[in-house]
Parts: sequence; structure tokens; C-alpha cells
Amino acid sequence: MKVLESAPDRYDAGIRILTLGKLDKAYDRLTSCIKSGQKVLDIGCGTGALTLRAAQKGASVKGIDVNVQMIEIAQKRAIKMKVAQNVEFCEMGVAELDSEKSENYDIVMSGLCFSELSEDELIYALKEVKRILKPKGLLLVADEARPDSLSKKMLNWLIKFPLVIITYILTQTTTKAVENLPETTEKAGFLIESVGLNKIGNFIELIGKKL
Amino acid sequence: MTLLNYIVVNIIETLLRVLPIPCKKGMTKIGKPNRMSPVFLTCNYHLTVKRVKRTLHGIDCYLLVANSNGHNVWCGATGGHFTSHDVISVLKTSGIEKLVGHNNVILPQLAATGIEAKYIQKKTGWKVIWGPVYAKDIQAFIENNLKKTIEMREVRFSLVQRIEMAIMWAFPFSIIASLITIYFWLEVLLPLNELIWGLPFIIFVSFPFYSKWLNPKKKGIGFSKYTVIFDFARMPLILWGLSLFCLFGFSIMTNALSWEFIFRWGFLSFIVILIISLDLMGSTPILKSGLHEDRFLKVVLDERKCKGAGFCEQVCPKNCYEVNKKQHIATIPGAEKCVQCGACIVQCPFDALYFMSPKDERLPPATVRTFKLNLIGKRLKETEQNVRSLEEKVSFEGHQRIGHPR
Repeated sequence: MKVLESAPDRYDAGIRILTLGKLDKAYDRLTSCIKSGQKVLDIGCGTGALTLRAAQKGASVKGIDVNVQMIEIAQKRAIKMKVAQNVEFCEMGVAELDSEKSENYDIVMSGLCFSELSEDELIYALKEVKRILKPKGLLLVADEARPDSLSKKMLNWLIKFPLVIITYILTQTTTKAVENLPETTEKAGFLIESVGLNKIGNFIELIGKKL
Repeated sequence: MTLLNYIVVNIIETLLRVLPIPCKKGMTKIGKPNRMSPVFLTCNYHLTVKRVKRTLHGIDCYLLVANSNGHNVWCGATGGHFTSHDVISVLKTSGIEKLVGHNNVILPQLAATGIEAKYIQKKTGWKVIWGPVYAKDIQAFIENNLKKTIEMREVRFSLVQRIEMAIMWAFPFSIIASLITIYFWLEVLLPLNELIWGLPFIIFVSFPFYSKWLNPKKKGIGFSKYTVIFDFARMPLILWGLSLFCLFGFSIMTNALSWEFIFRWGFLSFIVILIISLDLMGSTPILKSGLHEDRFLKVVLDERKCKGAGFCEQVCPKNCYEVNKKQHIATIPGAEKCVQCGACIVQCPFDALYFMSPKDERLPPATVRTFKLNLIGKRLKETEQNVRSLEEKVSFEGHQRIGHPR
């Protein structure tokens, strides 16, 4: 269907509605620790929201995603923002991270991607991330989360439900929530530097460190 | 109880067929599999997994469910939701590598439009075997030593499937139309719903009777932009004429003939037909609708590159190919049956196949593999632009070298 085929063009708009604009701020906070000259990997770069932020700071960034149409948009945006020389996009899934060299990156980041993975995939991805990070390298994650208490769950559902419907009709975009991210990250051998949840508890920002 | 559950799921998800419904990804053991048991892989569309599990009942095997964002196999693979990356991911992360002593994975044949067997083997070492189109043939496929018969390779558009398609179109539209008319125009609710349910059923059920007149080679009256309007001269307009005829008949019989009546119902039925025929590529039997510039794409075989490996024959859902194993060459005797799914182009290891438009624009295998059939008209223009800019560049350089004649 034509509507679904051109959906990646409308992905950014969809995400903006779903996250009520909070995503931009979260991404700014998350990328604030990136310095010029660092080597950064963006897992699930999509249309390049995180990749381009890091590139603007002068880091050399590799963005990977399984959706070529999204990468195409990201590439165009990189050229428009004049950071194309700092970025490299690659059509690749998390299960193909084994082709990356060990201890190659200062920072690995991921926005709204871990929630798309199954439990097996997340464990595999974290294991690979740990391998490709340099010692004391950072893992930055921003993603939708599942609220822990029942009242917050209800509140989240009430707010989210109409948004999800509207966004799907307009842009065929949906997001999922990642479960037990801090626990899984810790189990994978990372030191949790900081975990930030918003008030309703449906959005998580996590910084992990490779020991 | 499980049967009841199966029936309920089938009914609900047939009604909601237009929506993707995802289910859990990963590995499931079916029966008591051992190290030599077959490994099947499918997408994570809930109904598909449900049906595959039911047919696999009684076979000791492993079933891997790969991510397709809840889309079915054919749509998912052709639209870029069910990709090689998803297959690689489940092969590597589910732990299946440790459980079996072989590396053959059986994929549904229709996934061949988007999943590259060659790439998967390179990345994981797993060899893809293209299974039958329909899950119900799996049992026979296994008994036949993982070899497909011609029938197992072919997509048929059976009555049951056509009814499912009609329901898929009618249900969501009838819900939307009902929600609107309940508030604004209550008396129209019932007849409008009859129209919305009736027309798709007529279109789909009667498909075999009129399909032979749908000749994609005949261009008809319209061209370029106007094909949208003139293409309705094919089926939908005939249907609309039929519904107007019935309206006249009905109004004369009930003594209610008035222009207002005819106009109102004529208009409504036109809207319904328009919506049902709006997006026909692949999803309805009227295959090559006027809304798609890519409808006249042709698969072309480059005989110099063909080595007769026969991957095309294995994945073609319409059995268009014939492979001469002695002379090592494939031919396309059934070219007129082609549905332009692109599977053969994606799978050919020698890049011997490509799409060609009536204007002689080429769509090379690399483009089809990367973008599948997504917005293929746009890709056609892009590749054409690339070729042209390349030609301009070459001719420009040529001029420079030769210098100005004066």
C-alpha cells in the first residue's frame, strides 16, 4: 500500500506526537557528554536524531539501522546540516554487530531502539556493545519504559491511548516500551552511572559505563 | 478449548486484516525435536504464527519467529518490514545454533521478495531452503525430502482467500462509515453498510469470471496523469454502472424514482467503489491498477549472465520460469502470468534479472534488494536520473577533450 510505503517520511512527525516533544530535550541531555573527536556508534539511528546531534559536536559517528528508507532520510539530513563528513550510515541489525572491531568506540548510544528488540536480542546487543566499547566507554540509552506502579500505568494508558491511535492513523508509527533495562544492563556487566525516569515513569534515560 | 481459541482468533484477525498484529519473537519447540530436526522460520504476524503452529503440530521441529513488525510474510518482505536482518537476528540470538547439528533453515517461499538467502548464508552460515507458499503443504514438503512440487510453489487466489480479502476491505470501512452516519444520517446506515459489504464481495468473489478481460498490456484510453480516471473504465466503472442499473430497477419497482434518489445513491456507491479500488496493487485481484506507474514493469532476463542455477524457478509464485539444466539457462515462458513481486530478481546470484519499465528505464537488482518494491516509481526516476547525469557528465568530459569545434 502506498500509505505504508511512504511511512518512513512521516516517522519523525509521528514520534514527535507520541513523545509530546520531550524526546528532543532528552536527546540533547543524553548527547551532552559527547566530545569532539570521539568515536560514536548509534544503534538504530533511524532518521538520524541522535547521530546528527553527535556529529554536530564533532564526533565521528556511525549510525546503523535495519530500515534503509530511514537511513536515506538521515543521509539527506546529514548533507543538509553539513555534517556528512563526520557520519557514516550502514544498513545493519544488532545481530550483525559482531563484524565490528573490539574496543573501537568511546560511546555507544541508542534512542527508541532497544524497545524494539526481543529479550534475546537485547542481551545479545548489550554483550556486543560491551565488547566494542573501549574501557571506560559509555552506553547512552533513551527509550520508552513501562511504569512500575498500577496508578502510573493507568495514567500512562489514559494519556497514551488516544495519542497512539491518532499517530498510527496519521503516520503508521508506533513505539514500544523497554522492560527491566537497568537490570539487564547491569547483568551484562555495565556499571550504571545514572538512570532517569520521568514523572509518569514511561520514559527512561540511562547511562552505563564499561568497567 | 484450543480449537475454540483458534477459531475466535481467526475470525477477529480476519476482520482486522488491514492492521499489523505482532506477537512474541524467538524460538519455540514443537513436539520433541532433536539435533537433526528441521528448523522453520516465519514472521511475527500473530495469525500467521497461530496457523503455522497448528500445521506443524505432530512434526518434531523448531519454529523461529522473526520480527516483521506484525506484518504478514509477503507484505512484510516486499514492503521492507521482514528483512534479512530480522532473520539473521533470530538465528543468532535465539540459541538455535547450539540446539541443532545442521544449518538448514526453512523459510516461507513468499519471503523471497525481501530476504536474501545469499546474504544470510554469508553472515551466519545458515542455508536458506525455500519452503512451500502455504503452511498446509509443509507436511507433504517434509515427506517429499524438502522438495517442492509445482503446486506448492504457486500462489492461488482461492475463493476462501478472496472472501478474506473482501472482509478485510469491508470491515474497517463499514465501521468508519457507521460511526459517521450514526450521527449525521441515520436512515442511510443500513443500506450504506450493505453497499460497503456487497461491493467488495462482488468484486472479489466474481474475480475468476472477469480476470481474463483485465489485460495489463492494453493501455486503454487514458495515459499518464489521467489513467487514474480512465482506468476506471476497467472494472470499477462497470461495477458502478451495474449498481446504478440496480438502483434504477429498484426505484422503478418501488415507485420511488427521482433524480435525487439516483444522484444520492449513485454518488455514495461511487465513493465506495473509489475507496475499494483506491489501492489495488497486490492487495486486490485487479492487479495492475491505474494508480501505479510501476504497473507495466517487466522482468527481463539477461541471457549473458544467466547460468541456469534455477533460484528464480524456486521462488516464482506464478511458475513463470523454466530452467534448462542441460544448457544451463532459464527462460520465462509464463511471463504474462508475472505479478511483479521481484522475488526472482532479489534471489538471482548472478544479477541476471532486472525490472524494465515501458519507457525502457531499468531498475537494477541492487535497487530492488535495497528498497524492495517500496515507492518503486520514485526509484525508477532516480536510477534514470543517475544514468542521465552520468551520461551528461561523460558527454561533457567528451566535449572538453575534443574542444570547441571553432
